[in-house]
Amino acid sequence: MSTIEKLQHQLGSERDESILRTLISPPTVFMIPLTVLLAFMFIGPILSIVLFSVMPGNNLTLNPATWTLANYAEIIGGVIDGTGVYGEVMSNTVLISVATTLATLVFSYPAAYALARKIKRFKLLFLLSLIVPLFTSVNIRVFGWVLFLVKKGVLQSLLAQFGITTPSLLYQEWTIILGTTYVYMPFMLFPIYLSIGAISDETFEAARDLGASRYMLFRDIVLPMSKPGIIIGCLFVFVLSLGAEVEAQLLGGGSIYTAANNISYSFGYSQNWPLGSAQAVGLLIITVIAGIVILRTIDLREIASRGS
Amino acid sequence: MSTDQSTSLASRIGGGLWYGYVGLVALFFMLPLFSLVIASFYDGQIFSFPYEFTTDWYAKALASSSVQSAVLTTAKITIPVTILSTIIGTAGALAYTRHEFAGQELFKIFALLPIFFPLILLGLGMSMWSNLTGLGYGVLPAIIGELVWISPIVMFVVSITALSVDPNLEEAARDLGADTVTLYKDVILPLVSDGIVSGAIFAFVLSWNNYYIVSYLKGSDITVTTWIHGRMTQGFTPIVPALASMIFYLSLVLLVIAVIIELRGEKIKAALSRD
Repeated sequence: MSTIEKLQHQLGSERDESILRTLISPPTVFMIPLTVLLAFMFIGPILSIVLFSVMPGNNLTLNPATWTLANYAEIIGGVIDGTGVYGEVMSNTVLISVATTLATLVFSYPAAYALARKIKRFKLLFLLSLIVPLFTSVNIRVFGWVLFLVKKGVLQSLLAQFGITTPSLLYQEWTIILGTTYVYMPFMLFPIYLSIGAISDETFEAARDLGASRYMLFRDIVLPMSKPGIIIGCLFVFVLSLGAEVEAQLLGGGSIYTAANNISYSFGYSQNWPLGSAQAVGLLIITVIAGIVILRTIDLREIASRGS
Repeated sequence: MSTDQSTSLASRIGGGLWYGYVGLVALFFMLPLFSLVIASFYDGQIFSFPYEFTTDWYAKALASSSVQSAVLTTAKITIPVTILSTIIGTAGALAYTRHEFAGQELFKIFALLPIFFPLILLGLGMSMWSNLTGLGYGVLPAIIGELVWISPIVMFVVSITALSVDPNLEEAARDLGADTVTLYKDVILPLVSDGIVSGAIFAFVLSWNNYYIVSYLKGSDITVTTWIHGRMTQGFTPIVPALASMIFYLSLVLLVIAVIIELRGEKIKAALSRD
């Protein structure tokens, strides 16, 4: 907004100070629907998670008189002991999330670099094949992996053509990691792709003219300039894979329990909302912090200027 | 000369390797979707060669009354979500991109934060909140729940388009005497219309494919994704891949349309900048 516009704006508000007038004029009127929606159905649910987490077990209503930290004590105690269901769930979840973050980073980086700098022909087709899965229901995609990996499924039938027999491929830790890597890889690939794409051709030419080797180009230009993309991607993938439930349920077949499974079990079968909420609070805190860091790093203006 | 040839050969091989790698990644991304399609056309319960092609499962899926009612319920959620999230998200994008106000960055963070939430967390919070507030479970709570996740995504998509519109156009329109309503109706909205249309298409596809939020808020209603989820954990019948494939085809067609619209917008921009 220009200075003149700002002055006009200030003059305008001096001319007419009625609150109603401000409310029905932009930008306030544009912000109201989204703000009301999120205040009701986003802040409210977050508050529910926090409030239920300090209620005694098996409560389906809130009672301010009975708040307790027993749920936290149970969970934290279990995690510290490292024994029992919480210890196992904790180590499974962290292992899966860390492995997923590393795997998506390692496999995305070269692809993001190639898409940003090397691929000219069929680029649209490649990009579309990366976007389409994002818009297909997560349980349908994971189901596709089940059909691929299941006993006498697509993979085993294909391998059988060449006389290769394989043991059962489903229901192991690595199949869950394969599933989460698959589902969350676009969240790593696109931020890195955008940050590498932002490096201007002139920068590369100048560096080459100054005698930089390929390795130096990578170490001194590509890597530092793609750092924001890497950070956003890692935060994104780590947080989202902490909440992966369908992947563990379908590809792990219930043999490996993650935090998301445990939370959903507390809500579904055992109807223990307070216990489920207390487990969800940990995930909530990590999510909010990571979300704010990501959003402060993302510059919409920069993305927009690149698109045109 | 010989070094020239060898470098061009080397760079061609290098280029081919990049294409090969990205091709593999693209294949990885499409693999489960291909598996669905292969299973959906196969005549039999257990997949083996030789491949016996049939479209029976599609016919059975379309004829099933439980599938029909799931599709109807999903439509009852998806259509209002598409319309409302497009309006809410576009309004948010216009506020953020076309105006300057105190707390603008805070508004952006608050408005876009739901995109970064694991859906299971949103779903279970919403389920408790629905119970506490008496909103209950069913089609209406599912609509409100999906709006929380999808409106910010529309806002994101429209913001990208709106930020590439030259602010001078707005100033020029004001100088020529346009009031706020005229300014929006005749200048800003037409300029960001491509972003709004692709935002609406994204909203439709995401709502149609939503699983987590709907599964927590739907109550006794069954949607397409929850129907599929229920069936796939209960033992295999090829009707499930057939229905899942149909959802995939629909999403694919709509996404291609959205991408074409986006590209058309870029071509217009490129033409404008040439003049």
